[in-house]
Amino acid sequence: MNFMEMLSEIVSIFNRWNKKLVRQPILIFFNLIQPLVWFLLFTQAFSAIGDIPSFQLLTGTSSYVTFFTAAVIIQTITSSALSSGLGLVTDFDSGFMDKMRVAPISKSSILFGRLFSAALTTIIQVAIIIVIGFALGVTIASGMVGIIIIFILTALFGIAWSGISLFVALTTKNQETTLSVGLLTTFPLLFLSAAVMPLGLLPDWVQQVAKVNPFTYVAQAFQSLIINGFEWDKIEYALIAILIVGVLSVGASIMVFRKKIS
Amino acid sequence: MLEVKLECPKCKNQITIQVKQGEKILITCPKCKTQGTFTLPTEKSVQQESKKEDILIVEHLRKTFDKDILAVDNISFRVHKGEIFGFLGPNGAGKSTTIKILTTLLKKTSGKATIDGFDIDAQQAQVRRIIGYSSQDVGVDNDLTARENLLLQCQFHHIPKKKAKKKVDELLKTVKLIEAADRRLKTFSGGMRKRLDLASSLVSGPKILFLDEPTTGLDPQSRQDIWDYVIKLNRQGMTIFLTTQYMEEADHLANRLCIIDQGKIVAQGTPAELKEKIGTDKIKLLFKIDDVESCEKARKLLFKLPGIETVGECGLGLVSENGLTIMTKNGSAMFVRVVRALDEEDISFEQLTLSVPTLDEVFLKLTGKTLDVIERKKAVKPVGRRR
Ligand SMILES: Nc1ncnc2c1ncn2[C@@H]1O[C@H](COP(=O)(O)OP(=O)(O)OP(=O)(O)O)[C@@H](O)[C@H]1O
Ligand SMILES: [Mg+2]
Repeated sequence: MNFMEMLSEIVSIFNRWNKKLVRQPILIFFNLIQPLVWFLLFTQAFSAIGDIPSFQLLTGTSSYVTFFTAAVIIQTITSSALSSGLGLVTDFDSGFMDKMRVAPISKSSILFGRLFSAALTTIIQVAIIIVIGFALGVTIASGMVGIIIIFILTALFGIAWSGISLFVALTTKNQETTLSVGLLTTFPLLFLSAAVMPLGLLPDWVQQVAKVNPFTYVAQAFQSLIINGFEWDKIEYALIAILIVGVLSVGASIMVFRKKIS
Repeated sequence: MLEVKLECPKCKNQITIQVKQGEKILITCPKCKTQGTFTLPTEKSVQQESKKEDILIVEHLRKTFDKDILAVDNISFRVHKGEIFGFLGPNGAGKSTTIKILTTLLKKTSGKATIDGFDIDAQQAQVRRIIGYSSQDVGVDNDLTARENLLLQCQFHHIPKKKAKKKVDELLKTVKLIEAADRRLKTFSGGMRKRLDLASSLVSGPKILFLDEPTTGLDPQSRQDIWDYVIKLNRQGMTIFLTTQYMEEADHLANRLCIIDQGKIVAQGTPAELKEKIGTDKIKLLFKIDDVESCEKARKLLFKLPGIETVGECGLGLVSENGLTIMTKNGSAMFVRVVRALDEEDISFEQLTLSVPTLDEVFLKLTGKTLDVIERKKAVKPVGRRR
């Protein structure tokens, strides 16, 4: 496999998806609706959590909105990741996928082009969330550099989570399944992690689950960047969690895509 | 040069002539001096056949879905370089399945196929470099413009930017989409989309082009456009493999064809061969409505003419017509002899028509089913055959 050829293939496909997105900008906001509703309603309804002393002790902030920003970012990433799989299913349905598959390009290029465009979309969406966060009074302790790190983690986690959506899309080639698998996994994982509530305030069994839940580590990295500044070990853990998810999900997607031509 | 033995239609004298493929020559019978022209039908010469290079060889190809759906059932055929090869069959015959296997989109269950010597399984990458494919469901991106779609295909084939731009302009012009080039496909009609799809399968200049039902659902004008374009490509040397549900299309475009039904090839050959195998030609003779006498006279006369299989009753069963129908194997030759015989006996007639069997009839005879009800039309031609 010629590396330069593959790179140009990925760029073409990346650009294609970006163009599609620019022409339907509504899609950017579509994925944002749910995280936004949460951001506005949830934080208003549960703002009293911030007054609990043990919450303040565990998180280092008395603002539930600030703490919850990490959860909203994660929700934005996962809900955005959903559409990457849906896009592939559309391509299968329209026959465009066959067109790509008969072309002399690598299967991985088709997937990576999609994933990178998904990552870019997610960064834009998270940027919107952060701006709204500012409007809600959220401050980011780690400043500009911290925001850039948030974007990098966003892109990487976006790719890793999109991998799952791609895997479902490639195996089922079905819109509904791809959509529901994405929706059904997000909520339990979010609530069974340290994203909505600090670990220490969770029941024992939930804590056990949360410790093997990648959302926990990503959430903690975001929380620390927003509330405390730079805690490199948290970022490291997040990267490791993302790497594990990413290698598995993207690897599995490439494998089924290569194999599944019958 | 090929040596061909002919029989003089008049005196049955054996004549040996030298002809080139496709060449039309004037022959005079040395015995009775009858003159006639002769064109060597390329497809009928076995010698010629073996000389042609096969670009696509399919042997015992089978495909089963979910263990028990036999979509393609042990088919074998060869496509010669430079020809248009038709794959004709009704819904669910296995046309798309076959084309998808050949274009590396689907894994075969068993059998073997090579394209230009490359194995479709073991050498997928090489195969993909030399094929073009236009799917049944048009594979274009509706959010992009026509130009962007084609440029994207160029990128997929690693064509350098400058060259790609030129190529795209050229293709847009040929498929008459240059005016609509920068419009998004959302606003395109089905015919425009199909033309664009065809263009997009051509960016790499494939050696062999696979078209899956290129005209299904198109209006007559759009269909004609696609036909013209396919013929033009073929003239430029491109081999074309196309599937169709339309007899008329196969008859019009294909040099050779397979008829496929329920995963099996039920017949293959040139359209003329297939028609010949099955059908007899029909010559219809009409007289003045009140001239019953001439009709009866002609009937008696034609009975004696060698080469005629059956002569029908006078009257044709229609009140408004006075005439009869003659069935024969070799319509165009018989046509002339019928005219001569009637002339010699001074029998005057109003009209003489020759109808050759359509592929519809061939299909009906082979499978016991009609292909498409709407499309059925008899190819009625005053004199001679198209091919
Ligand atoms: N993915 C699949 N899974 C199961 N069965 C299939 C699949 N694809 C095709 N078939 C079956 O295989 C048979 C042949 O289908 P195919 O699409 O090749 O027909 P076709 O000749 O292209 O028909 P049409 O003119 O409708 O396009 C049909 O009975 C169809 O139901
Ligand atoms: Mg089909």
